[in-house]
Amino acid sequence: MASDRPVREAENRLERFNSDREKLLSEVERRVVARRITEAKTGGDASLEYVLNDVAYSEIKRLEKSKNGAADRWRDLSRRLLTMSEEEKQGELRSLVRYYGGDVVGNFDPRVYKFATGIGPSLLGVLFNPLGSLKEGMAALRNLDNRIHADGEIDIAHACAERGTIVVTPTHSSNMDSPAIGFGLMQAGLPPATYGAGKNLFSNPFISFFMRNLGAYRVDRRLRFELYKDVLKEYSTVLLEHGYHSLFFPGGTRCRSNLVEKHLKLGLLGTTVTAYKNLVREGRANKRLYIVPATINYRLVLEAETLIDDYLAETGKNRYIITDDEFSRVGRMFEFLRKIVAHEGSVIVRFGRPFDPFGNDVTDEGESIDRAGRIVDPASFVRGAEGEVSDDDQRDAEYTRALGRRLSQVYPKLTVFHSTNLLARVLYDAVARQTGTRDIYRLLRATPQQLAVDIPGAIAGVDRLRKRLVERPEWGSEHPHFTEQSSGDKLEDAVKGLSTYHTRPIVERGGDTLHVKDIKLVYYYQNRTAHIPVEGAS
Amino acid sequence: MTKRADTVGIIGAGSFGTALGSVLARAGRRVILWSRDPAVSDAINKTRTCPRLPNAPLPAPLEATADPRRVASEARFLVMAVSSRDVVERAKELGGFLDGSHIVVHAIGAFVTARDKSRAATDRDTGAKTNERVSEVLEQGLPTLKIGAIAGPALPADLAAGEFSSVVVASRFDEVVSEARRLLNAPPILRVYSSKDLAGVELASALSGAYTVALGLCDGLDMGAGPRAVLITRVVAEAGRLIAAAGAEAKTFAGLAGLGNMLVRGGKRIGSEDYQLGRRLAEGVITADSERTEGARAALAGVILADRLRVRMPVLSGVAAVLAGRAEPRDTAKLIGDTVAIEE
Repeated sequence: MASDRPVREAENRLERFNSDREKLLSEVERRVVARRITEAKTGGDASLEYVLNDVAYSEIKRLEKSKNGAADRWRDLSRRLLTMSEEEKQGELRSLVRYYGGDVVGNFDPRVYKFATGIGPSLLGVLFNPLGSLKEGMAALRNLDNRIHADGEIDIAHACAERGTIVVTPTHSSNMDSPAIGFGLMQAGLPPATYGAGKNLFSNPFISFFMRNLGAYRVDRRLRFELYKDVLKEYSTVLLEHGYHSLFFPGGTRCRSNLVEKHLKLGLLGTTVTAYKNLVREGRANKRLYIVPATINYRLVLEAETLIDDYLAETGKNRYIITDDEFSRVGRMFEFLRKIVAHEGSVIVRFGRPFDPFGNDVTDEGESIDRAGRIVDPASFVRGAEGEVSDDDQRDAEYTRALGRRLSQVYPKLTVFHSTNLLARVLYDAVARQTGTRDIYRLLRATPQQLAVDIPGAIAGVDRLRKRLVERPEWGSEHPHFTEQSSGDKLEDAVKGLSTYHTRPIVERGGDTLHVKDIKLVYYYQNRTAHIPVEGAS
Repeated sequence: MTKRADTVGIIGAGSFGTALGSVLARAGRRVILWSRDPAVSDAINKTRTCPRLPNAPLPAPLEATADPRRVASEARFLVMAVSSRDVVERAKELGGFLDGSHIVVHAIGAFVTARDKSRAATDRDTGAKTNERVSEVLEQGLPTLKIGAIAGPALPADLAAGEFSSVVVASRFDEVVSEARRLLNAPPILRVYSSKDLAGVELASALSGAYTVALGLCDGLDMGAGPRAVLITRVVAEAGRLIAAAGAEAKTFAGLAGLGNMLVRGGKRIGSEDYQLGRRLAEGVITADSERTEGARAALAGVILADRLRVRMPVLSGVAAVLAGRAEPRDTAKLIGDTVAIEE
C-alpha cells in the first residue's frame, strides 16, 4: 500500500546536491590521490608509473579504432611516462582523477524532479495512451497511482531514512527499473536516491534527460582500469558519507533469465561498509546506513525477448552490454509505457525490512540486532581489540558478501507474481509433463501438440499455484490488488498480456486450448517462480 | 600489543579446551577459561588442575572464570571447545556479551542436529534431522560474523604431554586465520596451518569422527592391514566427493582436519571414543547405539547430507546402517569398496 506520507516529509537531500557537487568531487580527488601516492611507495604494480600506464594502455585499446585521434592523448601520456618526474606523475594522477570524477558525477535539477514527480506522470499518461479516447486518457490519469504500486515495509524504511541514510537494493530485470524504482520511492513517500547508471543507458534521449537531472551518475563499463574503479567507488563512498540516499542493483546487470536473483555481484554495495567505517572513524557512528531490499515486479518486461535470447545463447555472459535492445528503440519503449499506463498495477515495487551494512536486521527504530534478536552495535564490526577502527579490505568484502547472502534470502519472499508469471508457470509445468522434460533446450523442439494446454486444466493449475503461495509466503505472493480475482479471470488477464505486447504472441487461445507459441518467453516469465518446487515435490 | 588483543578466551573447560589452554599458557599467552560450573573454575584457580584433565598442570597465565561477561570483555579471540550438543546453549549464553569485533573459532568436529538446536527429544534413529555445520549455527547465535574452525590431530593427552600436534584453522575472514595463527601457534607442541575452506574443514572434521567408527569396526572384525588400507583410501575418495558436492574443496579431507584426524583417533593405541564404539559394535559387546559418540552422530547426519546432495557414500552409509541397527557389523566388509568398478 502506498504511503500516506507526502514526499516532502522524507528529506530530499539531493536538493543540496548541486551546491555540494564541487565539495564531493574534491573529496574524491583528495582521497584517491592520497591513497595512490601512499600505495606507490611500495613500488611494483602500485607505482604511479604502472597506474598511469594502465590507464593509458586501456584507453588506447578502447579508442584506437576511432578516427578523430581520440587515442592520441593517451599515446602521448604513454610516451611521456618514461621521462616524467614523480611530481609530474602525481600531477597527471590528480588530473586524471578529476577528469574521471567529472565524467562520473551526477546532477540534480529540482525542477526536473518536481516535473517527474508532479505533472510528469500525468502528462506521460496522456502521451502514452494515444489510442484511447480523451475520456479513457483522463481516467488513466486519475488512476495513474495504481500503475506503479509500492508496498512492503515502508514505515521502517521511512524511519531509517529519517535517522540515517538508506541504500535501496532492488532486483534488476529491465532498464526500466531505474524510473520504476524512482516512482516506487515516490509512491512510498521515500526520498529520491542517487544511483550509478550504465553510460550506455544515456543513449536513450528521453530517459537520459531524466537520469541526468535526477541524481544519476554515469558508470562507464568500458573503462576497466583500476583507477577508474577507484574513482567510482570513492564517489559512491563519499556520497553515502554525506548522507545521500543511494540505489544499487546488487545483481549487477539485468537478470537475463528473469530468475529471482540469487548470486549477487554486489558491485558498489561494498562501499556501504567503507562509508560506515569512515563515519565511525570520524566519531559519527550514530549516522547509520541502512540497506533496504526491494523487488521490482513487472507484468510484462520490456526487453524480455532480447534478455532471454541472450541468456539462452549464453553470449557474452555478464561482460556483454546489449546496446541495441528494446530500450534503445524509443518507439518500443513508448509502447511499453503505454501498456503500463493502460493496465492497473503493471509494476509493483515491494520494499523489505532494512539491514545494516553487515547484514544484521534492524528494529523499527533502526537499531541493529543480531540473528538472535539482541541489540548489537554496528560500529563494533569495524573495530579492533581495543576499540580502534581497523582497515581490512578482505574483512569488508566478506561483510558485503554476508549482506548479499541476506539480500538473496529475502528476495523470494518479496517477489510479487503477476498473472503473466502464474500462467507461464502453469503452462511450463503442463508442457514439461507432456514432454517429460523441463529442459528448455529440449522444449524448444517440442511439437505444437506438446505445446497445447487445455484451458480448464490451466485454470485449475493457476488455482492450485495460488493456494500454494498462500500457504508458503516465503515463496512470494500474488499481486495484492488481485487476490480476489477468480483464477479464470487471472488466466484471461495473463493471456491478454502475453498475446499482445511482444513482437509475436507467446500464447494463443484456440477454443478450449491455449497454444504456446513462444516457449522461450513462457520459460522467461515462469522463471520468476522457479524457486517454487514443482507441484508434489515440495 | 595490549593485553586484550593478546588474550585467548576458551569456552568450555573440557579436556580439549583445558589442554589447549595449558599449551598456550606455557607458551606465555594469557588464557581465560570459561566453565559454566563455578566449582570447576574454582578448582582450576586454586589447584592449577582441571577435573577433566587432572594430569595437565595449568600454568599461572591461565585463569578460569564462570562469568561469560568477563571472558568476553577480557579477550577478543575466543575458542569454543564444547560438545556439539551444547554449542547452541553456550552460544546463547555467551552471545549477549559479544559484539561484532569478537573472533570466535570452534573446535567442534561434528554436525549440529535439530535436536541439539531444539533440545527436544525425538526418535533415536532419526535424531539427525538436520546437519548444519557448527559455524552456521554460531552465525545464528552470535553477534559476530568473524567465525572460524580449528581441526586436526591434536589430542588433549598429546597436548598435555607436550607431544607435537598440528591443527588447521579455516575461516572466510583472513583476519580470523591470521589471529588464530598468531595466538594459537605454540611450536613445537602446536603448529597452526591455515585454510580458506571453512566448510571443507568443518565437514572433514565431522566426517572423520564417523569414519573413525568405521576403523573401529574394521579392527574389531580383525580385517587386517590390506582391507584397512582399502577402507582408508576409499574413505578419502568418498568424503572428498561429499565435500565437493557441498561446495567445498575435496582435497581438504586429505589434510589435517579429515585424514589427519581420522588416523589419530582411529589408531589402535589411542582408541578414541568413536573408535572404541566401532570395535565394541563389531565384537558384539553392544548393539546399535547411534547416539553414543560425536562420530556416530556425524555418520547419521552425514548420510542425510549425502542423500540430499545425491552423493554415493558406501562406507558412510554402511556405518550409519550398523549404527541404526539396520545392518550387521560383519556385513561392513562389503561396504568398504564400491559395488561397481569405477575410475579412481
